[in-house]
Amino acid sequence: MTFLRLYFRSPPAVIGLLLLVLVLLMALSAGWIFPRDPLSLAGRPLLWPLQNPRFWLGTDNSGRDIAAQIFYGARISLLIGVVATFIAIAIGVVIGALAGYYGRRVDNVLMRITEAFQTLPNFLLLLVLVAVFGSTLTTVTIAIGVVSWPAPARLTRAEFLSLRNREFVQAGRTLGMRDARLIFGEILPNALPPVIVYASVVMAVAILLESALAFLRLSDPNVASWGNLIGLGRDVLRVQWYVSAIPGVAILVTVLAVSLVGQGLNDALNPRLKGR
Amino acid sequence: MDTKRFEMTRRAALMTSAAIAANVINPMRAFAQETPRRGGVFFVHYGAEQRQLNPSLQASTGVYIIGGKIQENLVDLDANGQPVGVLAESWEASPDGKTITFKLRKGVTWHDGKPFTSADVQFTAMNMWKKILNYGTTLQLFLTAVDTPDPLTAVFRYERPMPLNLLLRALPDLGYVSAKHLYENGDIRQNPHNLAPVGTGPFKFVQYERGQYIIAERNPNYWRPNAPYLDRIVWRVITDRSAAAAQMEAGQLHYSPFSGLTISDMARLAKDKRFIVSTKGNEGNARTNTIEFNFRRKELADIRVRRAIAHAINVPFFIENFLGDFAKLGTGPIPSTSTDFYPGPDTPQYPYDKALATKLLDEAGFKKGADGTRFSLRLLPAPWGEDISLWATFVQQALGEVGIKVEIVRNDGGGFLRQVYNDWNFDLATGWHQYRSDPAVSTTVWYRSGQPKGAPWTNQWGWQDAAVDKVIDDAATELDPVKRKALYAEFVKRVNTELPIWMPIEQIFVTVISAKARNHSNTPRWGSSSWHDLWLAE
Amino acid sequence: MRILSLAGRRLAASIPTLILILIGVFLLLQFAPGDTVDAMMAQMGGGDAATARQLRQFYGLDLSVPAQLGNYLWRLVRFDLGFSSIYGKPVATVIAERLPPTILLMTASLSFAFFFGLVFGVIAARGVNKWPDTIISTLGLVFYATPSFWFGLMAIVVFSVYLQWLPPGGFEDIGLAHTGIWRTLDIARHLILPTLTLGLIFLAIYLRIMRASMLEVLNLDFVRTARAKGLDETRVIVRHVLRNALLPMVTLIGLQAGTMLGGSVVVESVFSLPGLGRLAYESVVQRDLNTLLGIIFVSALVVIAVNFVVDILYARLDPRISAEV
Repeated sequence: MTFLRLYFRSPPAVIGLLLLVLVLLMALSAGWIFPRDPLSLAGRPLLWPLQNPRFWLGTDNSGRDIAAQIFYGARISLLIGVVATFIAIAIGVVIGALAGYYGRRVDNVLMRITEAFQTLPNFLLLLVLVAVFGSTLTTVTIAIGVVSWPAPARLTRAEFLSLRNREFVQAGRTLGMRDARLIFGEILPNALPPVIVYASVVMAVAILLESALAFLRLSDPNVASWGNLIGLGRDVLRVQWYVSAIPGVAILVTVLAVSLVGQGLNDALNPRLKGR
Repeated sequence: MDTKRFEMTRRAALMTSAAIAANVINPMRAFAQETPRRGGVFFVHYGAEQRQLNPSLQASTGVYIIGGKIQENLVDLDANGQPVGVLAESWEASPDGKTITFKLRKGVTWHDGKPFTSADVQFTAMNMWKKILNYGTTLQLFLTAVDTPDPLTAVFRYERPMPLNLLLRALPDLGYVSAKHLYENGDIRQNPHNLAPVGTGPFKFVQYERGQYIIAERNPNYWRPNAPYLDRIVWRVITDRSAAAAQMEAGQLHYSPFSGLTISDMARLAKDKRFIVSTKGNEGNARTNTIEFNFRRKELADIRVRRAIAHAINVPFFIENFLGDFAKLGTGPIPSTSTDFYPGPDTPQYPYDKALATKLLDEAGFKKGADGTRFSLRLLPAPWGEDISLWATFVQQALGEVGIKVEIVRNDGGGFLRQVYNDWNFDLATGWHQYRSDPAVSTTVWYRSGQPKGAPWTNQWGWQDAAVDKVIDDAATELDPVKRKALYAEFVKRVNTELPIWMPIEQIFVTVISAKARNHSNTPRWGSSSWHDLWLAE
Repeated sequence: MRILSLAGRRLAASIPTLILILIGVFLLLQFAPGDTVDAMMAQMGGGDAATARQLRQFYGLDLSVPAQLGNYLWRLVRFDLGFSSIYGKPVATVIAERLPPTILLMTASLSFAFFFGLVFGVIAARGVNKWPDTIISTLGLVFYATPSFWFGLMAIVVFSVYLQWLPPGGFEDIGLAHTGIWRTLDIARHLILPTLTLGLIFLAIYLRIMRASMLEVLNLDFVRTARAKGLDETRVIVRHVLRNALLPMVTLIGLQAGTMLGGSVVVESVFSLPGLGRLAYESVVQRDLNTLLGIIFVSALVVIAVNFVVDILYARLDPRISAEV
């Protein structure tokens, strides 16, 4: 309970939570407010916001309702953000845990691989993955997860390195616990909180990565995504700049919300560091 | 179509079988009263950089827009779309159609000072057109030799009859000559002159900074008297189309060829007095938007489904709202700009009729399921062109209305060609069919059976029709232009009935050019032509 | 000297990493739909089967995958990056042409982000939880959340389309054929918006890190001692705090080098800069395997080199390590 109290004491964290709830509500209510397919032809292309009261955010160059796409886009961004983050954290935790727990050769090999992933610019790898495996929602999400795991891995490893020789682990060892039990049952729960907090960073980056891919027209065209809309709007940027501007604001708000919540969690978990 | 024009082209076509002296002077029509101004730099938008710049090796507008000013072709098209001699002065076909003799222009020199001779033509034809040049390898498949009895005569010998009017239609694009003395040693594909071309044309290559610009300057020893007028041409490499529009407005570009700007920018600049936005001068580069059906899907093998799909899409609505004035309703694989072969609109057509589409689908036995869906299709749009991506979205929306769920599968260029034409991993595909002056050059391969697997832009649909194959083969070797035209009319009628591919939209590239330019857009392939008479007013 | 040998050893250790990356990407790309020749045919806008077959043979694409990989690695041993099928030039030449804009852009963005991150970080930390801190921290968060390509596009709308102050893209104005100082100024003008666009997110990161580490250091004993000795605040900050607070910033440069290269793909695409990032994107799309592997090789080298420099810088900055030398 002190945790919640601590969290709600910080205004930015509360604002972040409110924004996140707002985005979540948009995602949930999309089907109710806009019962039609957001990618269906709704009216004349390139109507300015409010030019036709039916489209309060206007229409894009394909004559689709921008407002509907913003609402449905919230689903996609959140979905990609959450799933890709889950994948990245899962891979990262396993690799980091193994490397940190076993040390020596295992650590050496796993860290070499991690280093390889970090040396290679992640966006470049993402481009290659999408070019190879195609641009569906699933492949894009997995690809983002696959390029985002090294940082969580390093974080987990660092935690494991500092925890593996603590008394409770030593005790477990003398009790004859198996490695798997020690790693996932004993050490991991203690190593996880900072990793969870870091997940907000991964999620923010994942949303930004997807939008950048979509901007380069390499994301799934069958879903209403904010990045797709920005990429589409680029063709009409000089006059109908609102097509790109509106979804950009949506991305900004969502990423901001995720970061603020992440920071709030961090502060609430480590009250000593409050205000940093 | 108007009969007077037809008579004229028919007569001209007949005349070509006898030798006609080529008229090299372009009629100065619109600006006859102005005196051309010498000098000036012409800035051109260059959107898609190519691997190389030699038009003897690669037939594409991206090469012609540069290489076509530096190197020249044997024959080009005049203002009326008729073949006119450039490096060739005249031509003659033997009665059996197996020998075609070109008399070459006298006193032409390469930019390095060496004389241009029939040996250059022989070398280019045998080693480049026949072996490397895309489309050229098909066109010259039965070319056995080029004889050079004297330095100004080149005799093309064919194993099978080559219709003269087919060759003359094809040569403006597929007849650029390279210098033998620069290419005879070493590997042609890796020759450094591919990126620093040497030709006989009005402009000499100066510099190429990849990703930034290309510069060519006036050739003072050009064979046409007093030409060219411009001092320099600079091509600016700009991949972002809306950035190119901004540079046009800022006066940093004079010309954006081949629909290089976005549809909305072109529509906007069309209202600006400083620019001329028109399809004129691109009639030779017509293209049609396609819907390609994969017959390996049982639904699509049913002709009722293919027709239903065509009837379900409101093409006029799409054109009016998305493409604007730059496109018109297509009537089949041979576009209306092809005066020599266009069969008219009286072939089977598929106007928008949602009720009929629904009826056809019901008849074919594909009833709507509980979720309102009859079946799902994967649509692969080619990644070139804004119109293709808009069209794919529109098709998705339209077919959804009649219960066909469409999933768009996006690929980059290489991926698209591989998935569609090699792996057959598609249900519907959509892209451009680029018409190149004669159906035998560019169009019949989309329909003729027996295309090797993996050959892009060919019949890979799993569809074959003996009657269509026969018409195609007969037309390719028919020497009489009137009979050829009739055969192609028959061809269009048959393929519009069977509908292995639907070509419902006809587009001509749009030119955006500064109003200061003179003598522009005065031939059907002006963007690709040599620009020897182009000048800039103050 | 120990520092150098330490850094040298790290450098040597990165060679297997490099080979791992190259082999991995090589194999990965074998699964891609379409090869260079497909992409070439697409670029030509037409062609026939014979052309495609010949091209495949010409570029050695008809060999088996292990043979192609073997060829590639063997060439690499001899410092030969191969020939780019799309650009018709040796890969080394292609990359050398495209590297300067990217290096310039990255250096400019990094300097911008580092300098302003430092300044704002210090200002924020000194007035912690007062209004300058609140404004700076909020801006930092907003910058962090802004998609860079979107910021770039909006900057173009404002500064190029409406105000017409800055060029909307390109590396230099070739029409004017500048030389010397004018050319330099012209390039600088073209790089203002791209630098801001690429640097924005890093500015946000640096200012947060700087603020946090300043706060950390300000509470350390030696700073208290220095203050107690009566040294004035500015001198304390510059002489003692800054030096220590810089450590995490420097580490971050090493960590972010790869991310920045990735970011330049998008930024160069927005501003049509002829740089390495756009080249990378083009070579992925055109299946130009040699060029792509060359870029990966070079960008990995850049990342490794940056980390090497960071190691040395770190040693110079950290009193504990230099004491050991």
